[in-house]
Amino acid sequence: MTDSESRAGDFKRHVEPEIEVLLRVARTLTGSWADAEDLVQETLVRAFRAIDRFDGRYPRAWLLTILRNTNANMHRRQRPDLFDGGDVPEGQRPAFGAAPPATVEDEALYGRLEAGLEATLRDLDPRFRQVVVLVDIDQLSYAEAARTLGVPVGTVMSRLHRARNRLRKALLVQPPEGSPS
Amino acid sequence: MITSARMLWTCHWSSRRIQRYLDAERGVPLSADEARRLEQHLAICEHCAALADEHRLLRRVLDNLSQRTAPAPDAVGRLHERLDRIIAEQSS
Repeated sequence: MTDSESRAGDFKRHVEPEIEVLLRVARTLTGSWADAEDLVQETLVRAFRAIDRFDGRYPRAWLLTILRNTNANMHRRQRPDLFDGGDVPEGQRPAFGAAPPATVEDEALYGRLEAGLEATLRDLDPRFRQVVVLVDIDQLSYAEAARTLGVPVGTVMSRLHRARNRLRKALLVQPPEGSPS
Repeated sequence: MITSARMLWTCHWSSRRIQRYLDAERGVPLSADEARRLEQHLAICEHCAALADEHRLLRRVLDNLSQRTAPAPDAVGRLHERLDRIIAEQSS
């Protein structure tokens, strides 16, 4: 095997499992799936050029850093993080193995709660919204979210704490079933 | 009075740690001692147990939202194809 083939093989092995999470995170950073796809493509090009400097540990963290820097270059003037949650086909399957609701009743309840939650999420300060979306919707760890945003883990923790408390309180004031929305 | 003040302080201490406790696998887990202390408090404090339940419900709703907002499979497929093209182009 040549050096070039070995390099290509290593790159593919490290990157392929992370494509879906990169796309999710890119969507959170850019606010649109189309821009997210462009951002991930550019990230992959830059990552390949930098593969010789990657030590093979924590590929997701390495890729998220490249994604953040690429986004800073590509979308400096674009307003990021417009969470709408609505442009994905109904019934799409989970990306990261989260268990589906156990019953039809659960699904109906969560669906009702989601509507109110999305509105509260949109109303959050963008700094708080980004953290909660990266951790709770994109399913990153605290450390990965910190790397994506270029902030300390402690900042992620404190923003997450405040954002979730807002969301939790919003869940408690959901209108009863059958009432007009 | 002292007991009630101590309970209030423990409630405050617990409320600051419930999210980390529930997030153990993705965050900065509590130490074994902290987790044990929190579990002991949740077993006797209705207020904090209800708070933990609310955070569990929030988590289930956000998990549900996460499933619904997963990327479209064809977008993921395009990126896998793009990855192969990048490797081919950059390697040549």
